[in-house]
Amino acid sequence: MESIGLIRDFLKDRLGVEPDKVVPGALLADLGVDSLMMLELMFEFEDRYGIKLSRDIKSPRSVGDMVSLMDGLIAKSTS
Amino acid sequence: MRQRRVAITGLGLVSPYGGDLPDFFARLCAGESAVSHLLTDDVPRPLSMPFVTSPGFDPVVALGKPLASMMDRYAQFGMAAAFSAWDDAGLPRKSEGECRNNWGVAWGTALGGTMAYEHGYRELWQRGRERLSPLTVVLGMNNGANAHISIQLGLGGVSMSHTVACASSAIAIGEAFRRVRSGEAMIMVTGGSDVPQAYGVARAWEALRVMAPGDAETSATSCRPFSADRRGLVLGEGGAALVLEDWDHAIARGARIHGELVGYGTTCDHSHLVRPEAEGQVRAIQLTLADAGLSTEDIDYINAHGTATTEGDPVEIAALQAVFGERSASLPVSATKSMHGHLLGGSAAIEAIVTVLALRDQVIPPTAHLYELDPACSGVDHVTTARHGRQLRAALSNSFAFGGSNAVLAFRSVEL
Repeated sequence: MESIGLIRDFLKDRLGVEPDKVVPGALLADLGVDSLMMLELMFEFEDRYGIKLSRDIKSPRSVGDMVSLMDGLIAKSTS
Repeated sequence: MRQRRVAITGLGLVSPYGGDLPDFFARLCAGESAVSHLLTDDVPRPLSMPFVTSPGFDPVVALGKPLASMMDRYAQFGMAAAFSAWDDAGLPRKSEGECRNNWGVAWGTALGGTMAYEHGYRELWQRGRERLSPLTVVLGMNNGANAHISIQLGLGGVSMSHTVACASSAIAIGEAFRRVRSGEAMIMVTGGSDVPQAYGVARAWEALRVMAPGDAETSATSCRPFSADRRGLVLGEGGAALVLEDWDHAIARGARIHGELVGYGTTCDHSHLVRPEAEGQVRAIQLTLADAGLSTEDIDYINAHGTATTEGDPVEIAALQAVFGERSASLPVSATKSMHGHLLGGSAAIEAIVTVLALRDQVIPPTAHLYELDPACSGVDHVTTARHGRQLRAALSNSFAFGGSNAVLAFRSVEL
């Protein structure tokens, strides 16, 4: 769950979303993350962890999906 | 097709003084300068110049975080000014059932999202990064401001940007005016915004040797149009917006009408990129008067382009003399850039607002810091302190751009 912190920071910084609303069950769209913001969030993630996301990656719908995706990639890159 | 009358029902700006619209105009009429000394923390060398900033402008407060974070600063100024003009017009931000598919936006900006790209260059070249935020594309595009305005206000008609250097917003306002007058659009949001303190932009302007020098003590009085000791122009950031509305529509909904936009003319000197020519300006003024159905006798005030450059100011006065002939000597002229600075693509919009307020409140704001007139700029009635008590029926606002583009707008006071 290390990436939830990044998602919380990002949503607070860009959209003013309170961290307690950023829970695994929350839908990203409901938090104000549209397709552009999603690109920016992925960019931020790539930047932070030095990971390059594949272009055909499926956009996560919920915060939980996003966390699983990011944590998986982080584990893969550090293993 | 019958031409529609065009009412100005909304005025809005991000005031360089930090207050609201009445405060802005009161300070202009008092001859108060908004120019201060800009000292940045740019690497490797800070910018240090007289400038007009809007330190009180907080985009997060004005627009909310989600919206502000999708915009370059020039678009934040534009959106804030547009919201302010829209609220002033008494129009709801969300449609209340009325169709807004022929309501549109025409926005002026000389630089657009230059700051977004400059930020990108810094990241790539100074910080050694390899990639940029994907938002850079939508922050940097020149039509960012008008796109956001259309989205926020639900305007389904034309949404366009005009980039014509210092005449950008005069042409935006003029083109918006034509659409309302023709009946093509019921309402147009128009105006302009710019943020010229991009490091590369400001340095390039310095190299052009047209910028007034100044430090912390002298900056406030550094922009002196028509003055014998003028040293050049002062750039500034900002945004200003007007709501143009079909006259009958405005009357039907009981809107307050600040003034009437009655004419627009635009020409090109077609001779030199930066050296202005009176002949092209004369044609623009004459076209505007003809478009407005006004004669030189009807004009009671000229808001001059008046940037305070050595070359530009006398040419503008020569153009006015050529058009107004014997009447020139009693033709009231002022250059308010002496106080609000040169907002590039936002200039004509802020000056259009000044001209409308002059007609509405029947007071001419002055050219500040004009104590010793340059003989080369004599021949008109230079207004050096606010002038009250004379009837103001109609007025022109001049904008003359690098590239040789000239645009003039004609306004009439409302007799209610």
